[in-house]
Amino acid sequence: MSSSTLVGRSSDTDERPASGIKRAWRRPQLWPYGYMAPVLIALALVFGYSFVEVVRYSFYAGSVGQLTYVGTANYKELFQDPQFVTSMLNNFKLLLVVPIVTILSLALALGINTTFRGVRQYRAIVFLPYILPATAMGLSFSYLLQGNGVLDAVLKAVHLSFLIHDWLGSPSWVMFSIGGVIVWQQFGFGVVVFSAALLSVPGETIEAARIDGANWWVVQRKILIPQIRRIIEFFVILEAIIVLSSVFTYVYVLTGGGPAYSSSVMEFFIYQNGFENGSIGIASAAAVVLLGIASVFIAFYLWARARAAKGIY
Amino acid sequence: MNRDVCAGDALSKSNRVKSSLKKHATRKLLSIACVGSMILTVASLPLSSAATAAGKKTDITYWFWGESDIPGITKWMTQRIATYEKANPDVKISLVPQSNTTIIPSFTLAAQSKTGPDVDTQWATLPTLLPALSGDVTPISNFLPKSDTSHWLSTNENTYNGKIYAMPLYMIGVPLVWNKKLFKEAGLNPNVGPSTWTEFLADAKALKAHGITPIGMGNKDGYFGAWMFAIYEKQELNTLTQLTEGIAGKGNAETKLLASLKTMYTMLQGLIKDGYVNSNVESLTLDQGWQLFPESKAAMSFTTDGNVLSWAKSVGEANVGVEKPPTWGTGKLASTYDVTQSSDEFITSWSANKQADANFLEWLHEPTNMVALNKETGAFPADNQFPVKDITDPLARQLDELDTSGQSIWLENFIPPQIDSDADQPAGQLITSGSGTPTQAVALWKQQISLWQTQQPTQFKEFSTWAPGA
Repeated sequence: MSSSTLVGRSSDTDERPASGIKRAWRRPQLWPYGYMAPVLIALALVFGYSFVEVVRYSFYAGSVGQLTYVGTANYKELFQDPQFVTSMLNNFKLLLVVPIVTILSLALALGINTTFRGVRQYRAIVFLPYILPATAMGLSFSYLLQGNGVLDAVLKAVHLSFLIHDWLGSPSWVMFSIGGVIVWQQFGFGVVVFSAALLSVPGETIEAARIDGANWWVVQRKILIPQIRRIIEFFVILEAIIVLSSVFTYVYVLTGGGPAYSSSVMEFFIYQNGFENGSIGIASAAAVVLLGIASVFIAFYLWARARAAKGIY
Repeated sequence: MNRDVCAGDALSKSNRVKSSLKKHATRKLLSIACVGSMILTVASLPLSSAATAAGKKTDITYWFWGESDIPGITKWMTQRIATYEKANPDVKISLVPQSNTTIIPSFTLAAQSKTGPDVDTQWATLPTLLPALSGDVTPISNFLPKSDTSHWLSTNENTYNGKIYAMPLYMIGVPLVWNKKLFKEAGLNPNVGPSTWTEFLADAKALKAHGITPIGMGNKDGYFGAWMFAIYEKQELNTLTQLTEGIAGKGNAETKLLASLKTMYTMLQGLIKDGYVNSNVESLTLDQGWQLFPESKAAMSFTTDGNVLSWAKSVGEANVGVEKPPTWGTGKLASTYDVTQSSDEFITSWSANKQADANFLEWLHEPTNMVALNKETGAFPADNQFPVKDITDPLARQLDELDTSGQSIWLENFIPPQIDSDADQPAGQLITSGSGTPTQAVALWKQQISLWQTQQPTQFKEFSTWAPGA
């Protein structure tokens, strides 16, 4: 076997001196990084730089251009600020949306996991709210849910006046109203995700279970749900992250965080302080806290995936 | 044969090496050519821009707000811009309308990056002067002769250290408006509105007893609460210094201010508890709440001159009564009215064509434009050249007389925007939603003042410097 064979892929350089061979070895390894460089640089600029800057800003008070170093004072102030505490608690309250959406959409996905006339159209209709712009949806719901609005008028018409509330103007009801709107929109997404997952379950498995005498309920519980378990886990984590860090539009359009901060969430707090007040420091500190909380969920998701990959249930 | 093969192999290898080196060299050359051409392209950009600069238009980006105060003013402004551009073909003005909720945040963000508008609309006094003190606003008086600015009304609202920072466009008063027809239905004298607080409460009681909503307002955005602060907290003060020193935390001024605020919120709480304000006040924005009046679903409202004239078209001018908001407080400022330029127009410090901006703004004050503003929207121009005698509409005349009846102060202009949005507005919501007490509302003020002082140290310092002259 000649040395050229040993060099392998770099056979065209085998007549070069040793140092040349080394260079030939290095070049093919560096080229891919060269190709990746633009993306890596873009990621570093978009995410890395922003992250570093947000953390840095969280130790300052004032607006950009007039910053004063305050150490960890912003973090202390955050947890003493009733508005931030309320905002954080509201995000946690909205986590209740996750099991509701998951159960409802899974139940419907299982229910329509069969062939009947118009099933495709039905799935499309259910999915429709998910593709509606949150702003348009928020405006529609603000008319539906406002005091003396459409919902109240309907309740009055059907002699259920005792249920009439100012759904968006009452601090006691406002988070339920926002949660309800989120459920309404995310429900369609859940149905489509679960329906797609159920379609991928091999028909033979279900047929075998039926031959073994399993009834409809047993097939759902013992065959279908366990088969799509990873998708359910993914959906739950995704929804948890959504209600933690992507509910700003609902709050902004439906209530503007009011009345008196009672429907504020962490994103709204960040917006108000960062953009309205120009208090970049406290907004950055809140963003770091929000990122920390979201990271816990992401880490949990990755851990669950790793376990699933290893076959640990 | 083998040797030939070997020689052939060697030749072949040698050729491949040569070919590879050639390819490599070609790639390198191509890379150099690409990078070189990119550098040349980038380098040539400013050159070509400079080359075409001579034939380029002067671009003015104008972030404008006013529709909420004066319905129809955006249309008027669009028409004015079209006329100006026709007369000045080298100027291109891009109008970007703003809303109540974006007017402050958009500019705050723009000021941080020093990009965005060349000319901006902002609410008068502190929302204009604080950015000015931070260096984000250029005094307009630097670009216009005194002979021009001397025609403007209420320039004191935006003057600091002898410099006028912004131009007023219109003046608005905030009267109490009542529906004479609904007053008559409630057995009240339709031609006499309430001028004292006792009369106001008595009228509200009578209206409610007849199933009529006495006051129609909206506080989803916090503005009803903020308006009550502007109108009624002022009535408890003897001087503006009591407010500004209270915000700046001087001596026991804060304690005194908070005590007077508590009294004001107790009064507001009374109106809510007695059912004198529409029950859905908390889920309607101020604009939405106002619509109850032209729809004859509420008998009274606190609104702007522009809205009064607009609503008169819906309910009939003969059915609309206006006067100063009823007196409630006992401070020396209780006798003042609530007129302000509301919003103003200023030139940003990063604008590239400040003189062009100033020329356009001053052109808006030309008599033909001011007359058109009044004719098309009913707004009262903030210019003493405007022929007031030309106002023939009786309701408009009455509003104008109110606006020019004496000293006026809009108190909301004198608190920092952050205190307005984070203390004034939510504190009012605590009361109107029934979820908080006056004590809690005042505690919110105290906490937010303290937060603003620590979060905006530079702004706090600038405010403290400005406050004594307020």
